[in-house]
Amino acid sequence: MESLHPRIRLLWIASWAIGAIVLGVVLAAVDRWLTDVPRAAIAGVVAVAFVIGIAYAVRRYQVWTFELQPDALYLERGVVTLVETAVPFVRVQHVDTQFGPIERVLGLSSVVVYTAGTRNADVRIPGLTPARARDLQDTLRELAVESEADDAV
Amino acid sequence: MNRLHPLSAVTYALQYGFTWLWVPVVLVLVLGGIFDPISPAWTPIAAPLGFLAGAVYGIVYYYRFEYGVTPDTFDVSSGVVARRSREIPYGRIQNVDVKQGVLQRLLGLAIVSIETAGGGNTEASLNFVSESDANRLQEQIRRRTADVKDRRRKRDREAVAADGQESAADAPNGIEGDNAALGDEDGTSLEDGVSEPRRPHRQRLFDLEARELLLYSFTSFRPAAVAAVLFVFFLATDRIIDLFVITAQPLGGPAALGEGTPTSYGILTVVSAINGILITYLLSVAYTFGTYYGFQLGRADDDFVYERGLLQRYSGSIPVEKVQSVTVTENPLQRLIGYAGLWVETAGYGPESSGGSQSAVPLAKQGRVHQFTENLTDVETPTFHSPPTLARRRYLVRYSLVATLVVAAVFALAQVTPLERWYLAAVVFAAVPPAAHLKYVHLGYFVGDDHLVIRRGFWKRRTTVIPYYRIQTVSTRRSIFQRRLGLASLVVDTASSQTFVWATPTVYDVDLEDARDVNTTGRKRLQSALRERARDDDLGLSVDFT
Repeated sequence: MESLHPRIRLLWIASWAIGAIVLGVVLAAVDRWLTDVPRAAIAGVVAVAFVIGIAYAVRRYQVWTFELQPDALYLERGVVTLVETAVPFVRVQHVDTQFGPIERVLGLSSVVVYTAGTRNADVRIPGLTPARARDLQDTLRELAVESEADDAV
Repeated sequence: MNRLHPLSAVTYALQYGFTWLWVPVVLVLVLGGIFDPISPAWTPIAAPLGFLAGAVYGIVYYYRFEYGVTPDTFDVSSGVVARRSREIPYGRIQNVDVKQGVLQRLLGLAIVSIETAGGGNTEASLNFVSESDANRLQEQIRRRTADVKDRRRKRDREAVAADGQESAADAPNGIEGDNAALGDEDGTSLEDGVSEPRRPHRQRLFDLEARELLLYSFTSFRPAAVAAVLFVFFLATDRIIDLFVITAQPLGGPAALGEGTPTSYGILTVVSAINGILITYLLSVAYTFGTYYGFQLGRADDDFVYERGLLQRYSGSIPVEKVQSVTVTENPLQRLIGYAGLWVETAGYGPESSGGSQSAVPLAKQGRVHQFTENLTDVETPTFHSPPTLARRRYLVRYSLVATLVVAAVFALAQVTPLERWYLAAVVFAAVPPAAHLKYVHLGYFVGDDHLVIRRGFWKRRTTVIPYYRIQTVSTRRSIFQRRLGLASLVVDTASSQTFVWATPTVYDVDLEDARDVNTTGRKRLQSALRERARDDDLGLSVDFT
């Protein structure tokens, strides 16, 4: 089983931090227009959200693993609900590599695998180095092309 | 890698310019209201800055958008800050559309959209490329897709030939996979297919009889009726309330609103509630009756064709090869009278908005529906496994929590209104054990030779038959509560689009080991079933199922 790049934790913490800051702005707005919210309370809520975010990111990183099995891409993830998903290569429609602004700064990249299903229709593997992402995309593409299935979906 | 037509840069610049215009404006206005140093007076400077930034972004976007035709895949990379590079294997491409508006035609431009199965939106959209490029692309992709299909067919034929040689003694005509398979199953279809290949094979499969239509209308309930009643109520609230007062008067209701006693108000409430429910129910019955009047299901070659409707006739066809799974539905009333309905789920969206699930048999005797299902899918009669009784304990706890919330809500209500004796609401706890038990007993799953059968739900019990070769992904899910009890849920995803309304087929709360077993079995049988299907060219479903 392969783990994600450790730097992914920073990405998750950063996105959680953005959420915490938005929460702080909302609380500031409530303080301004609706009722008095003490400064300390705002700071406390934001700090608590931040700490939860860090703990969550660390745990999430520990849980997240994936593996290329003979017939399928297999992933395990989830803190509250642990989900083990198998995506058979025959079912792969197309494969993306993607990275957003924060991922770019951290030098990370994601691979997104699309199936024709309705739930889990897009499976994302975050926190890969660009080289590994590229490599995984190539592998998955080859496996998908190789295992064409002639059935209508 | 190729770029889009240079004129796209202009359109992207304008498009992003006008969208981005609003970003700094909204930011200045909102933040200016909260924090003092930011003033709303900055808007006239912020807006052009936003436009400029957007225009630059649009131009950069144009330069960073590349597409290319490679031997195996069609590639698109896009994005300025966030990047995405996509590779679409030719074998997975469903269609390539070239669109041209009036302005685009004047400028000699076109939009090329490439779609694959699944997913609501277009997988790759090139706006714009020049007309000639668009046609060339379409041609190239078509040729390469055809190449891939040829290669695959050749490979399959070789596999079949190899098989044929092995078993040459007992099946000398093994190479003609199609006819042999058809002939084996059913002699008549071979005759029809060979002697008159032009004329479509038409046949009536199922008619909804008057008795079944009435039973269906009276035993099913449509939420749309509630919406309709509420809508009318809001439209003419005063008149309807007057009507309610008049109907309640002979039974002891108040003479007019505002001059009654507590008892007469109570009577008014009860009578009005009964009236409301009755009207909603009758409306629902009428709606179902009108929709399913004269329901007929037939076949035309390998398509199911159906027709229904009293005032407005609906008709449509379902290609059998697109059927993903088959579901038997029953609500408690229908179970009581021993009837059930049969639905087929297909991939993609039908021409009408009803989505990917179509009623094949709205209502028929349970035994018949089960027979139909077995004929249609060739599934063996399932013997269901139940989840461990631990699951029932889970539901007991879950519903107790819900009941506690209800009591808490009533308590809160009692604090702000003159309502007394809130603790009487605790009576809801009496419903908890039966609810948990009913949920538990209707859960079941069966691992067949070629199908997975999943049953769940009390109010609308659904028994879904999923052929292994239709599985898209399988997931084992365990929440923190399930992990403590060693339970797991197995989610089996297919390409049917109905799952927006009906949850994805899930085997709930079975032992982790069982869930993993079913998971592996599903995956293994998916592979072997796909291999078999490639060899036999078999639809996997029998069209004449009645």
